[in-house]
Amino acid sequence: METRDRIGPSQDGPVKPPRFRIFIVDSGWNSAARRVLHDNFELLRQLQRESPIYFLGRERSVELMRIYPALVGKDPIIRVHIIDRGKQRRNAGFHGFRLHLGLLRTSEDALLALQNFAKFVGTHRDSANLEADMRAKLRREGLQGALEIVLQGEAHGVSI
Amino acid sequence: MLETSGDIVSIGLGALAVGYIVYEIDRRQRRLHEIWGVLGAHDEARTALLEKMVETGELQPYTGGALP
Repeated sequence: METRDRIGPSQDGPVKPPRFRIFIVDSGWNSAARRVLHDNFELLRQLQRESPIYFLGRERSVELMRIYPALVGKDPIIRVHIIDRGKQRRNAGFHGFRLHLGLLRTSEDALLALQNFAKFVGTHRDSANLEADMRAKLRREGLQGALEIVLQGEAHGVSI
Repeated sequence: MLETSGDIVSIGLGALAVGYIVYEIDRRQRRLHEIWGVLGAHDEARTALLEKMVETGELQPYTGGALP
């Protein structure tokens, strides 16, 4: 396998332990979001090659949905778990963020969200507090949306 | 009287417009937080379950090939 196709840290420089684990939950709904994810998965994988990606197949995803039925219809779901390198304590609490890609009904919205996801993770890879960055981004998007409504009198699709 | 009625209508329409804007902002915020979100206490059990799958080796990193 060529180096550029590997999951995990690049072999070109100093090997750093991954900061994130990325989980993809996909029970297999025939949706635009799923098609966008599958069509662009290889690119996403290359962009996030420092982070291991765990793809839950249909069977595991369905099992998860049976335990947590509130997730039905929200998948494909992309979850980013921050690996606590300093503590490695189970009880330290889990941190990260998630994207419910399946809630986006058009392929354009899903693609934009996927691109924004890749951009956010890429640009905040070394952030001291990724969750605070995400919250700040959501606040900014909320304010921007409010301004759009006031200035243009219409609401566009939701994305960050 | 007509002027007063016109004022009342204007105020009513203005209130409706402000109400619509507030409603729309709230709707967008809710939608945004449905799509994107920070993992919190309500997600802890799901997060723990996925992490356990990794720990036990039930889940392996994707290394290429067709998606499952």
